[in-house]
Amino acid sequence: MSQAFDIAVVGGGILGCATALRLAEGGMNAIVIEKSDLGQGASGVNAGTLSLQIKRVKLMPYALRGWAKWQAMGAAIGFHQTGGISLAFNQREADLLQERMTMKAEAGAPITLISGRDARAREPGLSDRVVAASWCPQDGHANSSLTGQYYRHQLRDARIAIREHCPVTKIDQTDRGFVLHGYGETIHARRLLLACGGWLKGVAALLGVDLPVRARVNTVSVTERGPRIMNTVVGHATGLLTMKQKTNGTVLIGGGWQGRGSPMNGRGLVDRDTLIPNLCLAQYAVPEIARLRVLRSWTGFEAHVPDFNPLAGALPGTKNAFVLGCVRGGYTIGPYISELMGDLILGRDPEMPLFDPSRPFDIETATRRIL
Amino acid sequence: MQHRPRIQKGVSRAATVRFVIDGIELDAPAGESLAAALMAAGIGTIRHGPMDGQPRSVFCLIGLCQECLVEIDGMQIEACRVNVSAGMQVNRLRPMDPIKP
Repeated sequence: MSQAFDIAVVGGGILGCATALRLAEGGMNAIVIEKSDLGQGASGVNAGTLSLQIKRVKLMPYALRGWAKWQAMGAAIGFHQTGGISLAFNQREADLLQERMTMKAEAGAPITLISGRDARAREPGLSDRVVAASWCPQDGHANSSLTGQYYRHQLRDARIAIREHCPVTKIDQTDRGFVLHGYGETIHARRLLLACGGWLKGVAALLGVDLPVRARVNTVSVTERGPRIMNTVVGHATGLLTMKQKTNGTVLIGGGWQGRGSPMNGRGLVDRDTLIPNLCLAQYAVPEIARLRVLRSWTGFEAHVPDFNPLAGALPGTKNAFVLGCVRGGYTIGPYISELMGDLILGRDPEMPLFDPSRPFDIETATRRIL
Repeated sequence: MQHRPRIQKGVSRAATVRFVIDGIELDAPAGESLAAALMAAGIGTIRHGPMDGQPRSVFCLIGLCQECLVEIDGMQIEACRVNVSAGMQVNRLRPMDPIKP
């Protein structure tokens, strides 16, 4: 029989890698199993926005601590603190912005409401149609495409085993733990953590557990390089825009517009009918962007459950198995909530509450307003 | 940049056609990559860097780096992604202006 690990982590994104690092610090012998390459799912293809203005109120304390983790990672992941501006183009959007940002500020984010004129003073490329805005000096961005190589080095330095190109196709439960099968590999582990994002539902099903996980298909686009047209992260009151110009002159445009496809059917597809309004909104906010051609658009899968809170705790009905995923704003929050998850598995008291995956998911929670 | 003669031995090419870049008439085999034809004609500077305004030339030849971006029939396209055809009118881009403050 091959070596038994203390824990097998399924999923080599931010959540899986960062939790494995915490577990290794705590003395556990961990292995990270990834179906493709480390950090190539949502962790590596998202728009890299580190914005407190687009975080849910309930998750703000986690986002603030996650932000500090990214800041500490610094140049290795392309961290830039630029400040961020969220825009309102009419009174209705201004009211929405005020309501949302007031709650987020009360939750601890250093967000202030500013006039359209003040917004243009900070970001001269903004449209003069901006009537009100909010400003958060802490907002910024990192380069999500560096996620994989960053965690690869971290895992290696911590001597954590990595299996890539190893999709898990079968999981047996024994009295000693779990036996994972995938791509010619058989891996024995006493504990199990599922942290495979959009693929959580399929992998949990291997253990007979039905997680109410669905995947959003978020679209991101990048332009050619251009002269400096903006300095901050620009968003919109509705949350349907994120835009920032990188140091190389390209502009990344996101906002959660939905492409097509599902994790189980391979890569998502960009949908012209959602891409065009996404780009129109970007151009409405910063008209000069019209000078830049879009070079590429792509999608990433963002997992969520009906109440849009994370899954972070014991896997329902399965001894010694855990699940971590569905963290809205997971890029920003991931490195922090992973430490909490590691602490829970290590038998320590996490410093902030986690999110029990066994909680009920009913229609009421599903329809509760998402902020 | 020196004129770079094409390899002749063992390579067959289509008939030569004439195309125009910034008013200069050039000849190249029909169907040759425009980027290759410009290199063969000794045209070094294709565009200027949008950030620093410095001259740029053909670099990656696979449509990624944007350094051979030109305008053909009013559309911007990488010279490495288009083939030479008879009468093609190519214009090099003017350096991008900085935005108004």
